[in-house]
Amino acid sequence: MSELGRVTLSGIVKRHGTFTALHGIDLEIAPGEFFVLLGPSGSGKTTTLRILAGLEPHDEGRVLQDGVDVTERAPGERDVAMVFQSYALYPHMTVHDNIAFPLRMVGTAAGEIQTAVRDAAAKVHIEHLLDRRPGQLSGGQQQRCALARAIVRKPRLFLLDEPLSNLDAKLRVETRVELRKLQRALNVTTVYVTHDQEEAMTLADRIAVFMEGRIAQVGRPGDIYSRPASVVVAGFIGSPPMNLLAAEVQGNALVVAGVTVPLHRDLGPTGPVTLGLRAGALKIADSGIPARIYLVEDLGDATILDLHVGDHLIKMRAERRPDVREGDEIKLAFAPDAIHLFDSVSGSRRAL
Amino acid sequence: MKARAARQLVLFAAAGLLLAVWAFPVLWGLLTSLKTERDVLAYPPKVLFEPTLANYREVLFGASSILPNLASSAIVAGLATILTMLFAVPAAYALARLEFPAKRTSGFYILATQMLPPVGLIIPYYLVLQRIGGLDTYAGLTAIYLTFSLPFAIWLMVSYFEDIPREMEEAALLDRAGRLRSLLYVILPQVRGGIAVTTIFVFLNAWNEFLFAVVLGGNRVRPVTVAMFNFISVEQTQWARLAAAAMLAMAPVILLGLIAQRHIVKGLTVGAVKGGGRR
Repeated sequence: MSELGRVTLSGIVKRHGTFTALHGIDLEIAPGEFFVLLGPSGSGKTTTLRILAGLEPHDEGRVLQDGVDVTERAPGERDVAMVFQSYALYPHMTVHDNIAFPLRMVGTAAGEIQTAVRDAAAKVHIEHLLDRRPGQLSGGQQQRCALARAIVRKPRLFLLDEPLSNLDAKLRVETRVELRKLQRALNVTTVYVTHDQEEAMTLADRIAVFMEGRIAQVGRPGDIYSRPASVVVAGFIGSPPMNLLAAEVQGNALVVAGVTVPLHRDLGPTGPVTLGLRAGALKIADSGIPARIYLVEDLGDATILDLHVGDHLIKMRAERRPDVREGDEIKLAFAPDAIHLFDSVSGSRRAL
Repeated sequence: MKARAARQLVLFAAAGLLLAVWAFPVLWGLLTSLKTERDVLAYPPKVLFEPTLANYREVLFGASSILPNLASSAIVAGLATILTMLFAVPAAYALARLEFPAKRTSGFYILATQMLPPVGLIIPYYLVLQRIGGLDTYAGLTAIYLTFSLPFAIWLMVSYFEDIPREMEEAALLDRAGRLRSLLYVILPQVRGGIAVTTIFVFLNAWNEFLFAVVLGGNRVRPVTVAMFNFISVEQTQWARLAAAAMLAMAPVILLGLIAQRHIVKGLTVGAVKGGGRR
């Protein structure tokens, strides 16, 4: 079973008139993988999912499932199931009939349908709601019903388009955990679209970060977090995202905001760069980069300081609340191995 | 609380006034239909009189029976309605959902046909029907009715189809329903209300139609609206019989309205509330 479900996208281009929505998307998704398409709205992630489903035509490139070209196949011929952001439950049918619908459409025997529906409903804990109609369900229950309808016929590929975005924060986190367990248990290749990077980080085996119709980076959540491939990825991943400052490499030292910080390590060729620093990597010190405190955000378990460094606004995260107030002038330091350097022109990561 | 009660009172008063304005001619007609011709002409009008069913007996079973005309109306209106819905539902679906060449143009054309004054079309229709031998035939009159009921029905149905989220249909396609079965099992059940409303409107329009019927009909095809007209002649107007015939012609209309009240109200507010797909 786990051998089936490989998905390949090669050179997918999508145009809307003169606007190019996707500039050649290449992806290779392994069988059983939980693959997340992450990006801000308008980055092309949902379009990519819809092309995968066969719901949207594209202009160039090919879609392959287990090595078979399915580019020309209709949505129903691709052995994919999808959960829509709006759930798209059939309002005139009961929950039972909603879940049974995909089986009825392929002529499954009535007895078999009964078992399969009960099975699927049990997996998402809605077996007591089978006689209700979607309109009588809460948002969370509707979401589960949509999930059950998708898993009932054991598709080769499972597509989810922001399935949790209509749930409240608490339910979203709970459902996220369940979704992850469910996917592990079913072992079906899953492509999941979200703009929520926390969701992506917790769910994904691998993430593709979409930016303006291109894939900015593909990798495991940890890799993307610790080694963002470009300035745009660095500025998108993490909460808060990585701080980015203009700097200059001078031998083994960095010049930031007019201050030379000796780092005693090879920083590559001398010249202007973009310096990336996670909020947690910054420390208040006796000497270092001058900053002025703009705002103190107390999160309870940690404190976020919003700081002005020159004209830039950056964020620092401290585990214990430092003894500072808004308007204070402080100095910032960081460990030499905490830095990320990006080309100041192309924005791509400089290998160190 | 008080303001609400006052509001209710004003609303009831307004509704009562409107109802009175609407109901007065109908009630007057009902009273007239139960009077003798003498009582009808009495001045001042008699409110208290001895009711009689003689007029109904006469217009139903007498020499000038309108029974064949009621049948005529039923045939023309029924045929027109069935054919209209048969074509309008798929056409509206196509306009709402599918991509095809000249879609905007054809959509506009459908609307444009609604803008022509029907009177202006009577002469050409007459000539065409005469040429092909369609005058005073059910086929001829029904065909003419289709020319205005079809665009109207399509135009009305499109808004119902557009009200259904596109994702609903995409879900059905992914569930392997195919275009036809997703239409039958997923889309059509959700526009039943719209189909009911449109059917009723189309039927009523055809049933109430007079202008085309009087010109393009004849001795064989003479709907009740035309037949009623015969009670008005140069020498005298048989008011009581006319009223009785009118009551009989109106009965199916009012009955239909009562039965479908719920649907019609829903139909009139379609699109007013977002998310109409989740009724």
